[in-house]
Amino acid sequence: MTENVMIDLQQVSKFYRGQKAPAVENVSMTIRRGEIVVLVGPSGCGKTTTMKMINRLIEPSSGLIRLDGSDVTSLDGNELRRRVGYVIQQVGLFPHMTVATNVGLVPRMLGWDRRRTEARVDELLDLVGLDPAQYRNRLPRQLSGGQQQRVGVARALAADPPVMLMDEPFGATDPLTRDRLQNEFLRLQEKLRKTIVFVTHDFDEAIKMGTRIAVLGERSKIRQFDTPERLLANPADSTVAQFIGAGASLKRLNLRRMNEIPWEDAATVQVGHSPASALRRLDETGESAVLTVDPDGRPLRWVTPRDLEPGQDSLDGVGTTATVVEPQATLHDALDAILASSCGATVVVDERGRYQGVVTIDDLMRAISEMRASERANDQPLAETPARRSAAGPTVARQARRS
Amino acid sequence: MTFPEYLQSRRDLLLAQTLEHATIVLTSIALATVIGVLLAVATYRSPRARGIVTAIAAAILTIPSFALLGLLITPLGLGYVPAMVALTLYALLPIIRNTVVGLTEIDPALTEAARGIGMGRLRSLATVEIPLAWPVILAGIRVSTQMTMGIAAIAAYVGGPGLGNQIFSGLANLGGVNSLNQALVGTVGVVVLAVVVDLALGLLGVLTRTGRPRRSAGYVRPRPLRRASTAATVATSSPTPGGP
Repeated sequence: MTENVMIDLQQVSKFYRGQKAPAVENVSMTIRRGEIVVLVGPSGCGKTTTMKMINRLIEPSSGLIRLDGSDVTSLDGNELRRRVGYVIQQVGLFPHMTVATNVGLVPRMLGWDRRRTEARVDELLDLVGLDPAQYRNRLPRQLSGGQQQRVGVARALAADPPVMLMDEPFGATDPLTRDRLQNEFLRLQEKLRKTIVFVTHDFDEAIKMGTRIAVLGERSKIRQFDTPERLLANPADSTVAQFIGAGASLKRLNLRRMNEIPWEDAATVQVGHSPASALRRLDETGESAVLTVDPDGRPLRWVTPRDLEPGQDSLDGVGTTATVVEPQATLHDALDAILASSCGATVVVDERGRYQGVVTIDDLMRAISEMRASERANDQPLAETPARRSAAGPTVARQARRS
Repeated sequence: MTFPEYLQSRRDLLLAQTLEHATIVLTSIALATVIGVLLAVATYRSPRARGIVTAIAAAILTIPSFALLGLLITPLGLGYVPAMVALTLYALLPIIRNTVVGLTEIDPALTEAARGIGMGRLRSLATVEIPLAWPVILAGIRVSTQMTMGIAAIAAYVGGPGLGNQIFSGLANLGGVNSLNQALVGTVGVVVLAVVVDLALGLLGVLTRTGRPRRSAGYVRPRPLRRASTAATVATSSPTPGGP
């Protein structure tokens, strides 16, 4: 069991001088390799303090914190922090350094040579979805908020640390960007399998990101530490229930992702083709609407026979705009997209925005009732595996598509 | 002798004195920058300590320059050294103040990020904090330079070098043949020198402006207003140097 444990907190407390009550009191928690543990709780409950004690940005007053088996207080603080990725809400990119310099800071401190650092920087920028050639020499202020946070994540990943601490990393971005950053980060995590401690006050974010969620009360007291499913199904006490808030069943839609449910194939037609060929596609497939895609395969609009007036010679701009979701999006996101599209379906796209499949409101309802059924069947919850989502997701989806 | 004729006849001497003047001012400023920045770095995190340091520097600035130079004769004698010491002391306040302002105004998220990725105190200061505070520090250096330019003229009183010698000999034989020319050339010389050096420092500011994109390609947002302007006001609103 010990080799599976990455971070181990035992009876950790933090007292500040001149304050009677401790900021953090006797917190014990084990975090396994490769899982995302979300610390969630009201502002000022000590969740950030708890997290910062792991890389000793704040020194614990008492208790033991072990990182990969070694007591953190026995290590040099700066060296410890170079081995632990750290992402904060304000991003904290140094405004006088280029993107490449910012990302390369930790490798350079670790004594990597120039060439290795440069290669690593390019690799990381690529990983977080920024074209190195275009962004390497930019300054932070020449980037949008979302791009800045991507660079912030790249900087934290620079020396390939096994552990990442993230303090409300997406809290300062607008909801749309936040959603995309969350999806991108989950996609990254599927590849990287870092052990992540993630602090947020947003319970929806906690459900979406967490392998396990620790709901914290005052002085960082753990009220419940469990998987999102069980947290939603059985809140430990009324405080937790209150924190989960209203609409628990709606929130449960956040527990499943698009890549865990089957998609359908839609009838697609290139936007450059003639309306006649669109009608032919409709006849062949027996669908009620055809999806137009651009030459790169990105979905554009849903076209029904009614949209096609006689004598029309182009499909450009015809029909109703299609909404899209990524495979990492939750069923909640999908429901939102379906409602927004006003045609009862949303298109699943890959990271480049290309067409992958379609999910209709009926598919969604089927997935939801399956979820309900399996929850009833598994009232005794399954033994959770740390990499629950990352492992299961894509395989399920692939099988579903083949069938 | 008219003013241009006077300039022409004493060209070599005047050039030498201008150079001396510039040298003593710039040496003092360099010294004061090193001392001032070190003091500020050592104290800026503690409101008490930085209060004491700025108070002392402010007190020094209120000592009339004649008095300070006179007092320095006893331990240091006449000549270059007491002049330089006095100028360095006078130059401290704007530099300390601006360095403190520059360092304390850095976004705490940046210092936290520096610590969070494993930078030690010295590394954080050298690579993040001082470069970010530099425009404000430079504004302080410019104020100090302007100030010491004038005070340096008085250093001739203790046998110091520079254009002050012209002014003093002019004042000493008032009504004499070249007295007016001497006083005039000394004064104008100091003013011109001050303007030239300030322009040079301004250029240094442009050259050391960090965070310029290396390639001009791409879109650059207009720069935010420099904090330096507020800091310079802080510095200039400090007590005026003691006149002669």
